[in-house]
Amino acid sequence: MIYSLREVSKSYPASGTVVNAVNGFTLDVQPGERIALLGPSGAGKTTLFRLLNATLRPTSGTLRFDGSDVGAMSGRELRSMRRRIGTVYQQFHLVPSLTALENTLCGRLGYWSLLHTIRSTVRPTKQEREQAMAALEVVGLADKYCARADELSGGQQQRLAIARVLMQDPEVILADEPFASLDPSLKESLASLLMVLVTNGKRTLVTTLHDVETALRFFPRIVALREGHVAFDTTPAEISRESLKALYDGDSESNGSAARDGVQWRDDKNEPRCAPTCAR
Amino acid sequence: MECSGATTRMSQGVHQPARVSDEHYWRKDKTLTVRRFAAAAAAGIVLILSWRYAEIRPAAIFEPGAVAAVWAFVRGLFPPDLSPEFLRIVAAAVAQTVAIAIAGTMLSILIGLPLGIMATPILWRRGVLVAGEPPGASKLLLAGLSRASRALFGFLRAVPDLVWGLLFVVAIGLGPFAGTLALAVSYSGVLGRVYADVFEDVNVHALEAVRATGASRAQVFLRAIWPQAVPGITAYTLYSLECCVRAAAVLGFIGAGGIGYEISLSMRLFDYGQVLTLIASLVALVALTDGVSRFLRRRLHANAPAGSFAHQSTRSIRGFRRRLMRHESARHWAFNLIIVLAVAWSFYATDLFDITRADSGVLTRVFRFVGGMFPPDLSPEFLRSLFVPLLQTIGISVIGTLIGIAIGVVLALPATSTLTLGDDADAGKSSRLGRIARWLIYLSARLTLNVLRSIPELVWVLVCILTVGLGPYAGTLAIGIHTGGVLGKLYAETLEEVSPRPVEALRANGARRLQILLWGMWPQARPTLVSYTVLRWEMNLRVSTILGLVGGGGLGQAIYNNVQLGFYSRTAVLIAVIYALVMTTDWLGDRLRTRRHAV
Repeated sequence: MIYSLREVSKSYPASGTVVNAVNGFTLDVQPGERIALLGPSGAGKTTLFRLLNATLRPTSGTLRFDGSDVGAMSGRELRSMRRRIGTVYQQFHLVPSLTALENTLCGRLGYWSLLHTIRSTVRPTKQEREQAMAALEVVGLADKYCARADELSGGQQQRLAIARVLMQDPEVILADEPFASLDPSLKESLASLLMVLVTNGKRTLVTTLHDVETALRFFPRIVALREGHVAFDTTPAEISRESLKALYDGDSESNGSAARDGVQWRDDKNEPRCAPTCAR
Repeated sequence: MECSGATTRMSQGVHQPARVSDEHYWRKDKTLTVRRFAAAAAAGIVLILSWRYAEIRPAAIFEPGAVAAVWAFVRGLFPPDLSPEFLRIVAAAVAQTVAIAIAGTMLSILIGLPLGIMATPILWRRGVLVAGEPPGASKLLLAGLSRASRALFGFLRAVPDLVWGLLFVVAIGLGPFAGTLALAVSYSGVLGRVYADVFEDVNVHALEAVRATGASRAQVFLRAIWPQAVPGITAYTLYSLECCVRAAAVLGFIGAGGIGYEISLSMRLFDYGQVLTLIASLVALVALTDGVSRFLRRRLHANAPAGSFAHQSTRSIRGFRRRLMRHESARHWAFNLIIVLAVAWSFYATDLFDITRADSGVLTRVFRFVGGMFPPDLSPEFLRSLFVPLLQTIGISVIGTLIGIAIGVVLALPATSTLTLGDDADAGKSSRLGRIARWLIYLSARLTLNVLRSIPELVWVLVCILTVGLGPYAGTLAIGIHTGGVLGKLYAETLEEVSPRPVEALRANGARRLQILLWGMWPQARPTLVSYTVLRWEMNLRVSTILGLVGGGGLGQAIYNNVQLGFYSRTAVLIAVIYALVMTTDWLGDRLRTRRHAV
């Protein structure tokens, strides 16, 4: 059991009231599983990711990673746990003024001692540089290695974020909308790539996806989130049109905004809108 | 490393191994071009010369005598002198400082506004208003006058306000009037330049439309330019009032009255309890002015100077005034009355009314003083004697800024809330006690920065003189301490304002604080940090020209001596040297900043 969540909740104070972003969430994840999280905007997917990579602590409930309780971890233990979990953020979270190569190297930070950090800040070792170049090569960005992250296109930044996770070589990959900024052909190849990496490396993969079709195609387990808790937890074969409709129902924004041919419509904040219509 | 195998496995499974070499990339920064070598050599020479001429003796701070002097000073500060008689003196000094600031600002508006209008290129030199004018002598003359007033601003601003103060103290005698005139001259340069820029930035289409109706230049100004410029003008004028309060306090050090005068007096009398009371009241006064100014700006809906005031619509301020007129006319009148009374009181308190009397003899003295400046003394002996103070001034500013950077960095890191306090997951299970410790570290760093920053350089000079004796070393330390406070605050704020997203990503990778700082925050903040630092060095150079007035070495010492001895022809040369030095520094600073941004 790599993850074991029992009645996990996370609440934020917000203008007088308390918002429960994640509310009584219970889930078990086995090593090597591939899970797609579905759910309308505001279902708590992003908060759940922050809980899973231990940058937030649950307000209540217990979250166990590989058997140990995250709530009882010291700072050092938290760091070594985080090192084992790679996150691909929806907005990539790259350092804008660093080059692609340097951003890739950031994936190794969790492994470096303080002394090594100072040394590598001046000039990383040959081995590290070769690893980083290899990771960039895998995502097809090797020729862009000395471009600044903020000079790259959205799709390139997305791939760079994946390269950073490759560099980190984690046991668990959390990916928040990893294909949202890619055009259809690139999405196809990157999705296959991610699957190969996960399968070959015996890694665990948890992604959020607004594109139900991709979710059903690539993921053997689908977990649906609604209002901070699990709405259903099942396999693609058992998913019906009705259950999806029930999941996204009431998310008025999604009504009428169609996802045609994989082109997704997104609002200003880059939040994905859901597209129940494309599910079969 | 475990990753290497995995990555190779990944890449073999999916793609070819890396072909593009990154060697060039890492060598790029290391290549030793002639240019780079020259820059490094120049920097080294500047550093060595600065070290030498600023008379840096690191050990001097730790000598038993110096430590004892600091200890005696710190012990002397407590208890502060709070006796009624002294508090009365403090109150009078504070009032005088405020009066000098208000009167100085008022006079600089009166001088700066017409000159600012004169210096506005769009009115006299280029653009829609001028293009249609028939060419002729008057057009050329006006354009020339416009350029001349712009150059005048440059000169008025480049000479530090304390030097102006010293000149006025000599020309018309000790007292608040000299301080007021110094502020008026110095800040009319600042305000005039800003006013001209604000007038220049207005929407041109409005001018064109008003011009097309056949309006005269004056009408165009009043109807089309002025209404658009009011918010910007108001904001900047209030901002300069804040600056004037600080400057007025410091002007006292050279005998222009106010808090500064009392501080230097108490320092000389070794009555440090009084010094603490005075410094506390100065810090309170500056904080209060900032508060009042912020309040007024918010009420007037005018943006802070740093903002894009030019884009601020004038509607808000007009709406504000209309509201006042209609519904709050009583308040409006009270508001205006307060301003008029404050200005009248400030003029009275700074003896401005006395001067207008013919028998005061002020004009005669000023003429004699200015007359004495010509012809300037350009004898080789004198020019040669300026060499050492000039290098001292540069050395003080360079080493002082470096000390400031060091202090700033050391204090900025604990004062950066995002680094020190972190987020809740970082606290780990150690929680409460650790969190309290973090808050204590953070707050004490912030407090130290505020103390270093609020105390003016000239007060620090006096303290440093106690420690290491008269001379450039004391001046260097003083600049370093004050700059440390200023830069530390700016550094901390810059680091706090970087985008939190990459920082979150690095934290999620398991990065430590130092790694987050080096790989996540520093790359984002670097251009801003460099720019602030270079700007501060430019300001420090101005300051280091005046430190000598209180015994901190550099050109200020030469000015002080020559003015005291009545060698006005030499004073004229010194002012020219300062002007040239400041202009050169500004040019160099601009180059450094733009180059850094490009990298």
